[in-house]
Amino acid sequence: MRRFGRWLAEHSIAVGSPLVLLGAWEWASATGLLREAFFPRPSTIAVHLRQLGADGTLWGHLGATLVRIGWAFALAAVLGVGIGLAMGLWRGLREGLDPVFAVIYPIPSILFLPLVGFLVPPGEIAVVVTTAVTSFFLIAFTTTHGVRQIDRLVVEAATHYGARGWRLFTAVLLPGSLPSIFTGLRLGLGFALIVVVAVEIVSTSRGLGALLWLSWQILKVEDMYATFFVIALVGAVLYYGLAALQARLLPWVQDVADR
Amino acid sequence: MPVALLALWEMASRLALVSPRYFPAPTTIGAVLVDRLAAGDLGAALLVTLARLGLAFALAAVPGVLLGLLMGIARPLRAAVEPYIAFVFPVPKIALLPFLLIILGVGEPAFVLTGAASAFFQIVISTLGGVRTMDPRLLEVGHNYGAHGARLFWKVILPAALPAIFTGLRLGLGLALIALVAVEFIAAKSGLGHLVYRHWQMLSTPEMYAAFALVGALGLLLTRGLRALQARLLSWQEESF
Repeated sequence: MRRFGRWLAEHSIAVGSPLVLLGAWEWASATGLLREAFFPRPSTIAVHLRQLGADGTLWGHLGATLVRIGWAFALAAVLGVGIGLAMGLWRGLREGLDPVFAVIYPIPSILFLPLVGFLVPPGEIAVVVTTAVTSFFLIAFTTTHGVRQIDRLVVEAATHYGARGWRLFTAVLLPGSLPSIFTGLRLGLGFALIVVVAVEIVSTSRGLGALLWLSWQILKVEDMYATFFVIALVGAVLYYGLAALQARLLPWVQDVADR
Repeated sequence: MPVALLALWEMASRLALVSPRYFPAPTTIGAVLVDRLAAGDLGAALLVTLARLGLAFALAAVPGVLLGLLMGIARPLRAAVEPYIAFVFPVPKIALLPFLLIILGVGEPAFVLTGAASAFFQIVISTLGGVRTMDPRLLEVGHNYGAHGARLFWKVILPAALPAIFTGLRLGLGLALIALVAVEFIAAKSGLGHLVYRHWQMLSTPEMYAAFALVGALGLLLTRGLRALQARLLSWQEESF
């Protein structure tokens, strides 16, 4: 309890400022200073959020989004790490694929939706593949970078001690590139969320993005805020959860994404 | 390798191994691209997207860098503002679009602000990171040589944070492009993103791929160009993502 008290004293502004803001918002909407049609009171939003949760609507949409992110991330991770490692190890492959990737990567992934729809059956699969595109490139890039930035001396020392082929790979190259790979996975997961919400807005009737857009179209403003809150929460959990996981699993790593 | 891939695509499409309706030959797309550029409508869409991007970037960069620097210097401000930045940063900014559409009405301000929001948070976070991770010895040395207040800021803090600020601006520009193209795809009635959407709906695939290629070229130019610029301006800095 005393530790909590001290923590609270240290973070009083960080804890207090959102509370003050929420209070001010509540008051301004209640007194009509803010138009309630655009800025419903936080308490009203909370009630709507509870309703969405109680009648199951929210869980259906949340589930759909999470399943899509999960599949897309798995697809991007397996292919991205695999191809990234291969590109890091074989120069020919790297030099061949680099220019191709460099052109495709900066294209905003939502634009791949039509293209993917031509390639695979439209519907759920197309949504998942589109969501995976940008994550894949990010993961492949960071993995390649991870292999390439390993100290040459370390590799040489390992070969002198007789590590070759598979052993060299599992004992030196893979661990050496792990921090970079993890950063790529983290960024990739974040991007998957960004893309899936956009794709859901355009082309699906289920998922958090779809719920958000539908709430806008029928002007259920409170539901819009509630959905936004849930999306933000998913983003925060994915982002900070993985950062914490990385700090625990790879404590020696200085995050390359933060530079 | 890219040439080989294009040649393979060309052949597959010409020989109808893949449906030419969905995958027109690259030469067809190239012809359409030149054609539409000459006709001017593709160029017009490109200009619309570029104008939005420039405006969104300016709206994000100036307040973003300022806020990031202030947060880095003034601790109470950081404590007060950081929770919001941290909460909104991982949110897909496209989710802000319906709010802006409601508040500002359907139109340019809402589109541009969605793009600006996308860049803003990245720029704030990078700038703040740049100030916070600077070598404390630099500050001490500055102090010892009598630099205080504004002088300390201009001579020591700002130069030390510059590489991070530039990285933030570069990443921010990329994010703004992504958000804007998505906004155009979803809601706007102009710009390259909308062009891809419209030609997708009409299944005029060569035009769709032409607009698609132009977005790719734009993205490539921005990412490569800024990276080269960063390497030249801040040549002492290590290459990073």
